[in-house]
Amino acid sequence: MTSPASELESHTRTSGDHSPDGTAVEQIAGRSPTQLAMFRFRKDKLSMAAFAIVAFYLIVGILAPLMVKFGVLDPFTNHSSAKFLDIEGGGIPKGFLGGVSLSHPLGLEPGIGRDVLSRLVLGITTSLAIALAATIVAVGVGTVLGIVSGFVGGFVDATIGRLIDLTLSFPQTLMLLSLSGLAVATLIKIGVPAGDLANGIYVTFVLGLFGWPPIARIVRGQVLSIREREFIEAARLMGAPRRRMYFKEVLPNLWAPLLVYFTLTMPAYISAEAALSFLGVGVKPPTPTLGNILTDSITYSQADFFFFFIPAFLIAVIVVSFNLLGDGIRDALDPRGAR
Amino acid sequence: MVISRKPVAALAVSALLLSVAACGGGSSSSGKGGNDTAAGTKGGTLYYLTKRPTEHLDPTRTYIGRDIVDLNRTVYRSWVNYPVTSDDKAAAVPVADLATDTGTANSTNTQWSFTLKDGVKWQDGSAITCEDFKYGVSRNFATNLDGGPKYAVDYLDVPKNKDGTSTYQGPFKKTGQAAFDKAVSCKGNTITYKFNKPFPDFPLAIASLLIFNPFKQSQDQGEKSNYAIFANGPYKLQGKWNTTSGGTFVRNSQWDSKTDTIRKALPDQIVFTQGLTNEVINQRLISDSGKDQAAITDRAIPPAFYSQITGLVQKRSTLTDSPFVFYLTPNFNRMKNLKVRQALMAATNAVGQITAEGGSKAAKPAKTLINPTLVGYTPNPNFKYSASGDVAAAKKLLQSSGEKLPYPLKYTYQGGTPTSDKAASALAATWKAAGFKVTLDPLADTYYSVINKPTADGDVFNAGWGPDWPSSKTVLPPLFDSRTNLTADSNNSDYGNYRSDAVNKMIDAAANEPDLQKQGADYAAIDDKLGKDVAYIPLEIQRFYFLHGSKITGYQSGPATTYFADLGSIGVAK
Repeated sequence: MTSPASELESHTRTSGDHSPDGTAVEQIAGRSPTQLAMFRFRKDKLSMAAFAIVAFYLIVGILAPLMVKFGVLDPFTNHSSAKFLDIEGGGIPKGFLGGVSLSHPLGLEPGIGRDVLSRLVLGITTSLAIALAATIVAVGVGTVLGIVSGFVGGFVDATIGRLIDLTLSFPQTLMLLSLSGLAVATLIKIGVPAGDLANGIYVTFVLGLFGWPPIARIVRGQVLSIREREFIEAARLMGAPRRRMYFKEVLPNLWAPLLVYFTLTMPAYISAEAALSFLGVGVKPPTPTLGNILTDSITYSQADFFFFFIPAFLIAVIVVSFNLLGDGIRDALDPRGAR
Repeated sequence: MVISRKPVAALAVSALLLSVAACGGGSSSSGKGGNDTAAGTKGGTLYYLTKRPTEHLDPTRTYIGRDIVDLNRTVYRSWVNYPVTSDDKAAAVPVADLATDTGTANSTNTQWSFTLKDGVKWQDGSAITCEDFKYGVSRNFATNLDGGPKYAVDYLDVPKNKDGTSTYQGPFKKTGQAAFDKAVSCKGNTITYKFNKPFPDFPLAIASLLIFNPFKQSQDQGEKSNYAIFANGPYKLQGKWNTTSGGTFVRNSQWDSKTDTIRKALPDQIVFTQGLTNEVINQRLISDSGKDQAAITDRAIPPAFYSQITGLVQKRSTLTDSPFVFYLTPNFNRMKNLKVRQALMAATNAVGQITAEGGSKAAKPAKTLINPTLVGYTPNPNFKYSASGDVAAAKKLLQSSGEKLPYPLKYTYQGGTPTSDKAASALAATWKAAGFKVTLDPLADTYYSVINKPTADGDVFNAGWGPDWPSSKTVLPPLFDSRTNLTADSNNSDYGNYRSDAVNKMIDAAANEPDLQKQGADYAAIDDKLGKDVAYIPLEIQRFYFLHGSKITGYQSGPATTYFADLGSIGVAK
């Protein structure tokens, strides 16, 4: 982060951080709150494990498109001959656990015989990309509106407050379903390439644009207390313009709650993407997402259990890891809240 | 008939062997005439589990195969109908129902007459009259009653306006009534229909559709009659039909089994439950508990469940071919180069699609749009490539086409389910290998209303079609006659915007051929011409792989009921 941010961090936080432990105080002497938080986080084994898993997913997600490009993964080639699939038996892959073999370590897709491992790995990329983009939209919109609402107050605050109420009262899932056809057609009309991109952007924006209110509320609460601090007063007296106040004075003090909310919103959107795929909204096959792989596998829960288990397991692991990571970060940044 | 205006996964049939074996004791064809054999126990409640809600119960407006056969076997009777029998040959020949015989035609087959049986009644006890039949036909001309087939308007000898519409406007407006009275006339109990061209298969049309059924004028509320049933068959509707969840048929006390040698009418009640998913329906039938033991369905077993269809469950399954053929239509507004269409045809891997849909229990490769059971069926010699696609031949054709490669190809298909998406990916794989740059365009909610716009930007579409009655006349003309299909804002059922004056001329010649065998040959010639132009690419004949409950007796399905369960023979064991 930028140095002014850490300066401000120390400025706002010094009053609160006293370690009850004598030795710790000795060690801590001279450390910034960020270093303190890192120290606490590293001691938390569960959070470290969650962090490792999340990091692994992220690396896999980033590398997958390259691996597909260079032919390490092959998520699109069909193996639908009788050698691979039981044609008479509904296209279930032949062999142990749905066609597990050296060349297909997690088996094949029933009916068409694409490699499950390749599809899952590429599915992680698309699902994470959608969840990440949606989280950025939600956190971005929520932060800006929250800061403005908390800092300006009065009529603006009331208006944004009502906007939050209004957004929260929309039946989000129903809107997503009923608007999808129309909205995707509109996106295509304004020049977004049809297909995966248009579908992905639609899901991203709708998730994001319905997800910002809780973040705006949190941010507004924080801003209400920050704006009374001396350094804000000082900036105001020096005649700092509004934009500087929002983004240079207030925002750097919000990064802790934002980081926590970011890590907690991601998993919610990963599950949301899966749920929406089940309802037929979102990126469509053959482009894999964790959601559309899971949707396909549900009917096979009895005929080919392994095929159903793997995507469900991957989604569960990533959601739990992100949640644990978020909790860990919160505890590390604000030890009072945790114990 | 239209297989569906909505996404459909079901397919259908054949090995009657299996269905007969599955019937268990006593259901064989020897037990004709309503004998109370072991398999023919009267009473009980039959449950019909299904997914797609019925859109019309009005006989003039029903055009979905399943609904036509169900209503034909339960509440509606007509002059003639298909017999209840497990013999496929006999099942395809109409027998007298409300008429005394199967009708008399003049020498050119342009005039048909039928005479009404005595003692047949409506559900309110009033006698069915010849005038009721005449009124029923007249409703076909009413422009506000949409949905049904338009054969009556097309064939009856009522003068047409310049724009092709009839001068008769139906019984509500009554414009042009005199002309209609000439075309359809009653003399005592005998009706005479006059047609503007030969109609040698008219009895097949009566038995296969509901548009020539009688309709009592005093019961007609126009569009409001859409979900009303005024019955003359063994059952009547109890209360009202719920448009989302279904309804219940109960016995019609005014029906006299002595006048009806076709329907066995065994169950006391038939409960229709609609709006269930294929997975739910088939899981319930596999479990076979409680009321589901007396249940049947029109939804095929999803491939994911095939492994559970063994032992006792397998004995409750039937597998037959269906009359529905699925095909691809190149869009002639975009794919104008014949070589490119030929390359597409050569590269098409129908087997890949069939595997994705569940393999040989779901469908089998088709060599023409004309179903093998129809008169004049000949495998179309133009579709000569392997059903798995011939990539090498396709590459050659595409390279010789003079187009820039890879050739962009947008495939618009009825999608939204994992199965349909996999099927499309399977087709795309060989197209790509042959040199096409494929974009998949699945449409989930509305399909036919999108692709029947001439402006649709797909290069190739998928579609399914089943004959209205066993004749190629109800396959090729409705799909490829550009005069009846193509208008400024719709291509109706000619989804590929195919236009050929030569084919139109051949269609007219075939329609005017009074001999059924020669007519069949005429349609084979039309099919050959369509194949030369690659107006369509046949994919598969759907098969019906259906389950039924363990208490079902006399289960059968055949050509008489377009291979859906025959409600005329099915009973429920105690």
